[in-house]
Amino acid sequence: MAEEHTTAAGQPIQEAVIEAQEAQRMPPNDGRWTRLFDHFKREWQIYAMLLPTIIWFLVFLYKPMYGLQIAFKDYSIFRGVANSPWIGLEHFQTLFSNDQFLRAIGNTIKISALNLIFGFPAPIILALMFNEVLHASYKRTAQTIVYLPHFISSVIIAGIVITAFSPTAGIVNTIIGWFGLDPVYFLTQPQWFRPIFVGTGIWQEAGFGSIVFLAAIAGVNPSLYESAVVDGANRWQMMWKITIPSILPTILIMLIIRIGNVMEVSFELVILLYQPATYETADVVNTWIYRQGLQSGQYDLAAAGGLFNAFVAFVLVMTANTLSRRYSRTSLW
Amino acid sequence: MRKLCLAAALFAGSAITTPVLADDHLKIVEGDPLELTIQMNHRAYPIYEESWPVEQQARQWTNVHLVDVTVGANMRTDSENTGNTEALNLMLASGAIPDIVGSSRIRDFVNQYGPEGAFVPLNDLIAEHAPNIAAYYAQRPDIEDAVKAADGQMYYVPYLPDGKYGRAYWIRTDWLDALGLEVPQTVEEYEAVLRAFKTQDPNGNGEADEVPFFARQWPELIRLVTLWDGRAHGSDTYHDFLVEEGKISHGYIGEGYRDGISNLARWYAEGLIDAEVFTRGSSARDFLLSENLGGSTHDWFASTGGYNSLSSEIDGFEFRAMVPPASPSGKRVEEHRRILVKPDGWAIGHTNENVVETIKYFDFWFTEEGRRLANFGVEGTHYNMVDGKPIFTEAFLNAGPVNRSLNQVGAQLQGRGYFQDYNYEIQWTNEFALEGIELYEQGDYLIPDFLGVAFTSDEQQVYDRTWGSIRDYMLERQQSWILGNGDVNADWDAYLAKLDEMGLQELLVVMQSAYDRQYGKN
Repeated sequence: MAEEHTTAAGQPIQEAVIEAQEAQRMPPNDGRWTRLFDHFKREWQIYAMLLPTIIWFLVFLYKPMYGLQIAFKDYSIFRGVANSPWIGLEHFQTLFSNDQFLRAIGNTIKISALNLIFGFPAPIILALMFNEVLHASYKRTAQTIVYLPHFISSVIIAGIVITAFSPTAGIVNTIIGWFGLDPVYFLTQPQWFRPIFVGTGIWQEAGFGSIVFLAAIAGVNPSLYESAVVDGANRWQMMWKITIPSILPTILIMLIIRIGNVMEVSFELVILLYQPATYETADVVNTWIYRQGLQSGQYDLAAAGGLFNAFVAFVLVMTANTLSRRYSRTSLW
Repeated sequence: MRKLCLAAALFAGSAITTPVLADDHLKIVEGDPLELTIQMNHRAYPIYEESWPVEQQARQWTNVHLVDVTVGANMRTDSENTGNTEALNLMLASGAIPDIVGSSRIRDFVNQYGPEGAFVPLNDLIAEHAPNIAAYYAQRPDIEDAVKAADGQMYYVPYLPDGKYGRAYWIRTDWLDALGLEVPQTVEEYEAVLRAFKTQDPNGNGEADEVPFFARQWPELIRLVTLWDGRAHGSDTYHDFLVEEGKISHGYIGEGYRDGISNLARWYAEGLIDAEVFTRGSSARDFLLSENLGGSTHDWFASTGGYNSLSSEIDGFEFRAMVPPASPSGKRVEEHRRILVKPDGWAIGHTNENVVETIKYFDFWFTEEGRRLANFGVEGTHYNMVDGKPIFTEAFLNAGPVNRSLNQVGAQLQGRGYFQDYNYEIQWTNEFALEGIELYEQGDYLIPDFLGVAFTSDEQQVYDRTWGSIRDYMLERQQSWILGNGDVNADWDAYLAKLDEMGLQELLVVMQSAYDRQYGKN
C-alpha cells in the first residue's frame, strides 16, 4: 500500500490544503449571498444538469396546483378557474356520501395491499436468484425475458390478458379443460379480478423492478464474501447474512416510495380490464374519478377526488418515512 | 401539407366546372367574402377541411367562407364519444370560442354553457333571419321543443336524421333451412331456434361451436328484454330514460325488465348467448359471421345486410332480417329506431361579430340547394339529377363505402345542422337490408323515443350527483344477473330499494319536471 501523507492531526494533506484554499477564498465578513454566488460559479455544471428536471417539475407539477382550487368551486370551463364561485367543501361531502366512492377507496387499498404483499418481494427474490446464477449467457437471456413485459404498453397487456383468460379460446381455460373442468369467464367474476390484476402487474414489472436491487447487490463489498468463504459460510448463509442486510437500505427506500404510491393503482390497466360486472372489486379511486369526473364532465368533483387521493398518499409517505427513520435510520429525507 | 394544397387546387377546379345556375339568390354577403372560423371535430373527419368540394360549392353560392380553427382534434371511437366532448371542453378551456362550433353530442354542451353566455341564443335570430329553419320547426314543434335549453332558448341548429329504421333482428336463414325450422314468430320459438343452433350443429363442422346469439355492443343483448315486454334503452343512447304517455321512467326498474333479465340469465347459462358477449367487443359481428359461428343478432339494417357477400366464401350463407318475435303477451316491439333529432349540430360562439350572416348561413343548409349539397355532395361531380332526383354517379358509388366517401367530400357531416334525406342511403343499401326494411314497414313495431330534456342548473346538479352512480349500479347488477352471479328475482326488492336510496326517485321527479316544462305538458 502506498505511503500516505498525513498532518499531525491525522488528516490527509491534500484535504488540509483544499480547506486552507477555501478559507482564503472566503473573506470572513462576506455575506451569504456572495458565498452562494461563489458556490454556483464553482458548481454550475451540476445545476445545469438539474435544470431540466426543475423546469419539468415547475411546469407539470407546480403550475397545475393553481387549478386545485376548483375542488372547492362550482367550476365552469367557460367562466374559468378564477371566476367560478366558491362552494366550500360541497364536493367532498358529495364524495363521502357516495357509496361507490367509498367502495373505490376500499378497493384501491385492497389491491395496493395485495400488490405490496406479493408484488414488492417479487423483484427482490428475482434479483437474489439472478445473483446466484453462475452461467453468464443463461443469466443474460433470462434477464432479458423478464424485462421485456415492462416495455409493452398497457393496451397490449390488457389484450394479452383478455385473450389468455377468454372462456372459449384462452390458454388458461384450455388448460382447465384438460382436467375436465368447465371454463370460467374470469374477467366477469368479481372474485377473480384482484388475483388477475395483481398477477399481471407482477408479470409485467417484477423483472424490471429487479434491476435496482441487482445494482445494490453489485455494490456489496466483495471482501465481505471473501471473509465469509474463509469462515466456511455456504451460499445460503451468505445470502441471508451478507446480501440481504447490505441491500436493506435500498429495500427500505423502495418500500417507502411504494407506500407513497399506494393510492396510485395503475388505473389504465384497470379501465382496460374491468366490466360493470366486476366494479365490485375492480373499481378504484382513479377509475371512479375518470368515470364520474371526466366522462361526465364534472371536473370540480374529479379534482376533489384527486386532491383527497394525493392527501392520503402524502400522509402515507410521511408516516412510512418517519417510521423508517426512527427504526432503521434509512429515509428519503 | 403540399398534398393538401394540391387536393385543394383540384377540388377548387372541379367546383368551378360545376354547372351553376346563374343565381345570386343564395348569396349572403356582397363584395368581399365573409370569413367565419369554425371548430368541428368528429371521429371520421377530425377537422373542418376547407378543401372539401361541398365547402367550396357553399363558398361559391353564399360568399361565406368557413375557416378551420379546430382545437383538440382527435379520432377516438369509443362508445361514449368522449373524443368529441374532450375537443369541445379543450376549445372552451382555451378561452377562444370560434364563430361556429359544430359537433356530435353538442346539445348538453351548449345547453350548459349557452345560458352562461358562451353561445348565442337563436330563437329570435331564427324567427327573423332563417325562414327555412323556421318553416321546418313550424311543421315539427316537438323537435323544436327537444332542441331548446332549460331557459327556452335554442342554442344549436340540429342534425336531423331521416328514415325510420335503425336496427333489426337478424338470423341465419340458411341454418334454419338446414335444420328444417321456420323463422321464429314468438319468443318461445326464438328460444327453440337458438337452442337448435347450439345443439344441432347447423354449420356442420361436427362441433357445438355455434354462438346462437351475439352482439357487437353488449347493450344490444339487454335490448332483448323487449321480448318479455321489458324496456332497455329509451332512445338511441344506451341506458337512457324512457317516456311512456308523458311519464318519464327507466327501463331497468320495470317488471318486464326483471322477467327479461331472468330469462336472459337462463339463456346465458344454457349457452344460447355468446359466452364472451361482454368482452368480445366491436369485432364480434365480423369475426363470428365470417368464421361461420354466429346465428342471430340485433344490429343495423344496412351494414348487417352487407355481410351476405360472405356467401361467396361460406356455402349457402344467408343472413336475413326477421320481424321482432312476439312477447308472451303477444306484442312485437322493435325498440331501436332512428331518432328524430340528434343531439348533434352547430352553434354560434358568443364572440361572433356576424351573427345575422351566420344564422343566414345556417339557414342556407335548409334551402333546397343547401340540403341537397349537405346530403349528396356537388352536382355533376358526385351526383346527377335524374327525373328531378339526385342520383349518385356510378364512379362515386363504387369508390368505397359511400358514407365514408361522402364524409371525405364534406357531405353528411354530423357536426353540421341539416336535414338528412333518406334517399341518399336507399341508393346504395343492399337488397337484404331493403328487404328487411320492407318487412318492418308491414308491421307497426316502433315505439316513441325519448328525445331528451334540458336541465336548469339546479336540476343538473341532482342529475350529476345521482345518475352516474345509479347507472353504474344498474349495469353492475345487470351483468351480474346475466352471468349468474346472483338471481334477479331474489335480489329485485333489494335492488329497487338501493336505487331509491341512491336517489332514483328524486332524479325521476327532476326529469319529469324538466320534461313537462320542455314539452309543454303543464
